[in-house]
Amino acid sequence: MTSLNVSAGNPPVLHRGRRFMLHVGVSICVVALTLLPWYAGFATQRLMVEALTLFTIALAWNLLAGYGGMVAIGHHVFVGIGAYALFAASNELGLNPWLALPLAGAVSAMFALLFAWPMFRLSGAYFAVGTWVLAELMRIVALNTQWLGAGAGMPLTAMGGFGRFERNAWVYWSALVVAVLAIATAHNMLKGRLGLALMSLRDAPQAATASGVPVARAKLALWVLTATITGLAAGVAYMNTLQVSPDASFSLNWTAAAIFIVVLGGIGTLEGPFLGVLVYFALREAFSDHGAWYFIGLGSLAIAVMVLAPAGLWGWISRNGRIDLLSVRRHMPAATHLSNHHEEELP
Amino acid sequence: MLCIEKLDARYGLFQALFEVSLEVARGETVALIGSNGAGKSTLLRTIAGALKVERASIKLDGKAIGGAPEHSQIAHGIALVPEGRRLFANLTVEENLLVAAGAAKKIGRTGEWTTERLFKELPGLDPLRARPATALSGGQQQLVAIARSLVMNPQILMCDEVSLGLSPLAVDGVHQLLRKVRNTGTAVILVEQNVSRALAESDHYYCFQKGRVVLKGASVNADYARVAHAYFGS
Amino acid sequence: MNASMWLETLIAGALLGMLYALFGLGLSLSLGVMRMINIAHGDLIVLAAYLGSVCASGFGLDPLTSLIVVVPAMFMIGWLLQALLLNRVVGRDAMSSLLLTFGLSIVLQNLLQETFSADTRSLDAGTLSTQSMTIGNLSMGLLPVLIAAVSLVIYTLTFVLIRKTQWGRQARAVASDAETSRLVGIDDRALFALMTGFIFAVIAVAGIFYGIRTPFSPSAGPERLLFAFEAVVLGGLGSIWGTFLGGLIIGIVQVFGAQLHTGLGPFFGHLVFLVVLIARPQGLFSKG
Repeated sequence: MTSLNVSAGNPPVLHRGRRFMLHVGVSICVVALTLLPWYAGFATQRLMVEALTLFTIALAWNLLAGYGGMVAIGHHVFVGIGAYALFAASNELGLNPWLALPLAGAVSAMFALLFAWPMFRLSGAYFAVGTWVLAELMRIVALNTQWLGAGAGMPLTAMGGFGRFERNAWVYWSALVVAVLAIATAHNMLKGRLGLALMSLRDAPQAATASGVPVARAKLALWVLTATITGLAAGVAYMNTLQVSPDASFSLNWTAAAIFIVVLGGIGTLEGPFLGVLVYFALREAFSDHGAWYFIGLGSLAIAVMVLAPAGLWGWISRNGRIDLLSVRRHMPAATHLSNHHEEELP
Repeated sequence: MLCIEKLDARYGLFQALFEVSLEVARGETVALIGSNGAGKSTLLRTIAGALKVERASIKLDGKAIGGAPEHSQIAHGIALVPEGRRLFANLTVEENLLVAAGAAKKIGRTGEWTTERLFKELPGLDPLRARPATALSGGQQQLVAIARSLVMNPQILMCDEVSLGLSPLAVDGVHQLLRKVRNTGTAVILVEQNVSRALAESDHYYCFQKGRVVLKGASVNADYARVAHAYFGS
Repeated sequence: MNASMWLETLIAGALLGMLYALFGLGLSLSLGVMRMINIAHGDLIVLAAYLGSVCASGFGLDPLTSLIVVVPAMFMIGWLLQALLLNRVVGRDAMSSLLLTFGLSIVLQNLLQETFSADTRSLDAGTLSTQSMTIGNLSMGLLPVLIAAVSLVIYTLTFVLIRKTQWGRQARAVASDAETSRLVGIDDRALFALMTGFIFAVIAVAGIFYGIRTPFSPSAGPERLLFAFEAVVLGGLGSIWGTFLGGLIIGIVQVFGAQLHTGLGPFFGHLVFLVVLIARPQGLFSKG
């Protein structure tokens, strides 16, 4: 049976009063979050850093997959690259870790640029697994590189020079800043030319190409942007743990968590990852001592969402509440786009 | 034989057909005419089962078959030659016929149209048997596409724009085959851009506009002025 | 390395590659007909090995005999998976089946860990694992040669099935144009279910032989998937014999790579994969 996903017109934009309340609410949250180091303990701060960095990585994955149509199972390669870049720059060049952070982002971007060459030869499911091969390759490289600490990894030596409160606070604020920057960048990008290019690509690829939309450039830009965001978040995440190692930083678990957060929250929406992160951590706190059963539950939940509610939690809420908070809602690309055969023809 | 009554059909939220009513008697040829997007192809695909509709809106010999799954329609003797030919590129010419013949044989739809008979009727295709189906000219491919449907021995053959993009010679070849089909008593529903051809080769016609039937009648009595008006609308 | 050692390494690599070819066959079929990669593919190979282990400890069956149980069991599991879950997402978009099978991979790995613990184990085929044979003055293991023979037989069987039978024709028709295939009476959903069942049966054979040859653990799946994937891409799409040759190449590269630096075999496989991707993206043996 064929059916075409036609959105039910534009969702009603929040009107003035509600919009004001939203801005007030967000501002209060931002202030509260900024002041956190002064009222929360170290354990809470570290948890928040974990949540913020994971959220950022999930957001990046969502940009690539939900908006760009490129699912990357090997997304965690950028986590490893970003983390190692930060540690290497700080340790080898004696840089303050916070100065090394932008460097980590830049290295991730360059890595993405370089490896776009082989990776973009693949598409769809091939691309998804191809990135995984890349991640494995880099993991093995790190594992066998002595000056990176090989299997045991290496510590972030410069951190020793900071007091505990200082260190925790500044790492926390970095996580917050990176997350906010990521959200702002994503939001602006989607409303700008790149966003338009990507959406036209997703909705009508042939028309987009024919109209001169630079397909390859748009995808490359998105890929590099995703890598940068992920690399930055990874840098902060590992500043939090103070030790980087191949098996941890190049672990598939990063991608798995990102996928779970995005799928559960609502793929292709900016609001989705917020909800996803909340649910992910709630579940983790509730079931952490159940080991393997926790993962079995997560995996099963992801499967169930895929089959029964592919638009995720936010999709379910916004369909019932009919709101589109950040108004950049998108749909997943249809199978016809990637099967490169006959497109669905409307009479 | 085929009775369509007040058929509504939708693609998701977009309604493509509005209260379409149509009849095809045994052995007769019906032409569907109308501009692009008028709903002619949608109707054929709906009959073939691609869209979910009210069961009772499509009746074959009194039995309601609306919305039945596509792959079961050949059991009802309904075969669609799709727009754009859509031959299986991974298969040779012969395999394109065999795959359809095999499916038909399994459900007992055998008859006078066999793979061999078709290669005899279309001698130009015989030496091309082992070629990949898409390595043929447009006209040849169209003949293969029709043959692929015929080999299932349908009682209703639906042809969606089979003359599109073909040379006049190829179009003649196609209509020659269709005439042979009609002579065996098979009903044909023809979607055809060329109005005069459509009217010349059919018993009844239905003119579509924006998903509705706006004019119908016996082809031999067709008033060209009224048809043109119905075709283009006001 | 002298000439005969070099040749022996080459042969060992090729024999390993035959197993990788078998890993890749299911993936190649899945991609060709259903345009889908099952991310849990590697984990399913490991599952089959564990089923073999259960047959050994539960019924005292040796690995080769356990094929009689494991192959039909895996066929059923595959058929059910496709019919009940995957068919529900297959038409929707290219992403859904990928993400669904990703979830499946995680579930499977952790279920195996819960049931069997994280320790490695292997399937005991007795003397088969240790015996060697000599051709001329070249020595090679008996087990790898058996695997190679089995792989060749299964590939040939699959080739005949796809090229010469009505079912194979239907599968190729669906691969070409699923929508139009319905017009010629093909129930593509039913075909997918049978196809997945067949793929799982092949996985079962691959898994049992893998389990005899290599110690395995619940987390061994992903690496198997990557090797299978590399075989498919290297060989070029649209050709199962391409996958066969791709598997051979990965096997050979890995074994020679391990000679250069122990434990680095897979790394060289990944490297060659990237290089071929850059140099000849359509694969080495594709139809073009």
